[in-house]
Amino acid sequence: MRRLLFRVPALSSVLGAAILAGCGGGEGSSAGGATLQYYLTADPQTLDPALSTDVQSGEVVTTLFDNLTQFDVDGKLVPGLATRWEADSTGGVYTFHLRLDATFPGGRKVTAADSRASILRALAPGSRGGRQWPLLPIRGAADYAAGKAKDVAGIRVPDDSTIVFTLEEPLNIFPKFLAMPVAAVVPTPTPADFAQHPVGSGPWKFVSWSHDDAIVLARNEHWWGGAPKSDSLRIRIIPEALTQAAEYESGRLSIVEIPFSETRRWEADHASEIQRRPTIRDLYIALNTTRGPLRDVRVRRALNMGVDVKTMLSTVMSDRGVRAAGTIPPGIAGYDSTRAPYRYDPDSARKLLAAAGYGAGFPVKLWRSQRPELARLAQSVQQDLGRIGVKVEIVERDAPTVRAAVRNGEADLYLGDWYADYPDAENFTYPLFYSKNKGPGGNYAFLADPVLDSMILRLRTTTDEAEKSALARAVDARVFDAAPWIFLWFPIDMWAARPGLEGWRIPAVFTAQRWTEARLTK
Amino acid sequence: MKRFLALRLALLLPTLAGVLLVTFLLLYVAPGDPVQAMVGERADAATIARLRAELRLDDPLPLQFVRYAGGVVQGDLGRSYITGRPIVRDLIERFPATLRLAGAAMLFATLVGVSMGVYGAWRPGSAIDRATALIAYAGVSFPVYWVGLLLILVFAVQLRWLPPSGSGGISYLVLPAITLGMRSIAFLSRMTRAAMQEVLRSDFIRTARAKGLGEPRVVLRHALRNALLPVVTVLGLDFGSYLTGSILTETIFSWPGVGRYVLTAIEKRDLPAVQGSILFLSLVFVVVNLLTDLVYAKVDPRVAYE
Repeated sequence: MRRLLFRVPALSSVLGAAILAGCGGGEGSSAGGATLQYYLTADPQTLDPALSTDVQSGEVVTTLFDNLTQFDVDGKLVPGLATRWEADSTGGVYTFHLRLDATFPGGRKVTAADSRASILRALAPGSRGGRQWPLLPIRGAADYAAGKAKDVAGIRVPDDSTIVFTLEEPLNIFPKFLAMPVAAVVPTPTPADFAQHPVGSGPWKFVSWSHDDAIVLARNEHWWGGAPKSDSLRIRIIPEALTQAAEYESGRLSIVEIPFSETRRWEADHASEIQRRPTIRDLYIALNTTRGPLRDVRVRRALNMGVDVKTMLSTVMSDRGVRAAGTIPPGIAGYDSTRAPYRYDPDSARKLLAAAGYGAGFPVKLWRSQRPELARLAQSVQQDLGRIGVKVEIVERDAPTVRAAVRNGEADLYLGDWYADYPDAENFTYPLFYSKNKGPGGNYAFLADPVLDSMILRLRTTTDEAEKSALARAVDARVFDAAPWIFLWFPIDMWAARPGLEGWRIPAVFTAQRWTEARLTK
Repeated sequence: MKRFLALRLALLLPTLAGVLLVTFLLLYVAPGDPVQAMVGERADAATIARLRAELRLDDPLPLQFVRYAGGVVQGDLGRSYITGRPIVRDLIERFPATLRLAGAAMLFATLVGVSMGVYGAWRPGSAIDRATALIAYAGVSFPVYWVGLLLILVFAVQLRWLPPSGSGGISYLVLPAITLGMRSIAFLSRMTRAAMQEVLRSDFIRTARAKGLGEPRVVLRHALRNALLPVVTVLGLDFGSYLTGSILTETIFSWPGVGRYVLTAIEKRDLPAVQGSILFLSLVFVVVNLLTDLVYAKVDPRVAYE
């Protein structure tokens, strides 16, 4: 027994020493005005633009690197490394003219050749990049990615400040594709361990990345757009929403997103700090148009009429949303504010179901992931549809399981949302309803309508802005009519910003916040 | 003793091999596809097919297993599908944080739990004894996330004594350690109390008191030493499970440890990362148990011969 007795204090002192040893270099409270404090809900998968597929990676990549084009905070496409660009009359050849004052750390100039090399790098076979689609419209890009060609035929670099892209077919949104993380310009050759220690020409310089903990960036004094107004940007990784709120309330975050369930409290306690922005985002229930009764458009319309969207929006989401009568959100050319949403009318819904031969109702499965705000929504839908005889079984699984089922076409109904990669009507039509994008491409309703397909393709290729808007409107109307979704709403984002934080606004898309103007005045 | 050690070490290998096989098969049958997670929300069939080929996911299952097991034997847990980083590097980076948190939680739980148990046994039925019993039951009953968030609200948001979350100096360790240690306090205090009560009734304690020794000396020097054996058992088991990650505590406190790593890996169906971390954590768990047994065998030679 005696031996053990000496060991117990020894054990605890070893533990104590281990704890103290691991705790060197505490940072204390860093509420200083020069450091912006932001957070992400998950560790970015990578900081290498070529490999970035998740929102978190994209947000950080946007601050470290430059693209030929970029989005301003409102989602408008503005010059980046390219000061101007033009398409030829067919819309199939784009010429970008680069600025000459952009440099990588160390002073080397960013040239058109760097842009080309970056694109080749992102497309290279074996790169394991999961998000090459913004680059695939370039002629020969798909062959190069598949290892069938030694070069991408459609990229030409006549001089240091000019790059010319020839596309497989005209594509009017191509300049917006080039603003996405995968098209960021990186130095060639890339330094070792690039995904962990990225180097770019963007407004911020990489300092450190401690996984699941924090990323630290310092301002790039030499950025061509003018050095950011704050010295550094510290991006914490904070997964839990209530912890994010606590960090903000104890003064350790510059901004915080307000969860839908907390809306009323924040409106009461922090009224002066709140910012709102209608998002470019759809919340919807996809109806698989190839499964059972859902094949009948009358059934799909009946489901739209059987859900009390207005009440759900106000009770569950504290009215943080604009009701949807289609798929194109407000603020995007093609949005039609005059179209009325499906009216909540259980009686007519029942009649429609009877006319379609489903007067006795039918069972469906509604899939959703475990995101907390979806739970109450799914229950409301279940209750409402029960009243018109549609028996909804809610299937709740983790995100990969839901994604697999939905993409394989095994889900009748799927409750989810669609975020814009770039603000354009195309982003809300082509992936979501073009027949070839069934499943993984984003068309979770498995809609296949040849007329709609040709309209969507025309929407992508036309060089006439007015025609494009009109087409977008017509596509949206046709989609609304075909009811491949239960249209819910376009959510309204709500953030709180610390008093004294200037120059920060809620970005329209995830690549639209570069933190260059933000500073803390107290 | 040597035979005992050899036997325990020999058993370690089949245990880990079993873990390897079971996790591999379980992940294979679990729904969800790592490539679907890699490509994000909008993907084309060609990219998915290309990635499947690059990751050699279309190879026959036995071949995939042999390739994986071959790497493991050489100490290579492979690279994460999602981040492309070597999994061994990821684990080495995160394990110190987990160790620190587990150590602090155990230290806190031992100090508080044992003191509560000792006092309870010494003055059973007193107000303090009943209060500690209540605290112990509360510690087991309240869910970790509730305790964690409550502590953050009180000590970080209201009083501003401590940071709400993150990692850094020792102040960052206090709240997560209390949250994590809460459950052990309950077990440790009840265990200590029961063991102490038994010891306090023994003859040598009566003798010690009869000799005129002061109560602190009797209780702490003579009784506590003899009551510690069951406490060591609880300590070993709990420490093992803390080291294998405390997903909830780490999530609430944004603590960059192994638990969150595993959780993220599972959420993204990052097969090599899940397999690698489960294997690593099994190893840690088995080693901690082994150490506990060794301490035990040293203390009580009968254990080694059983």
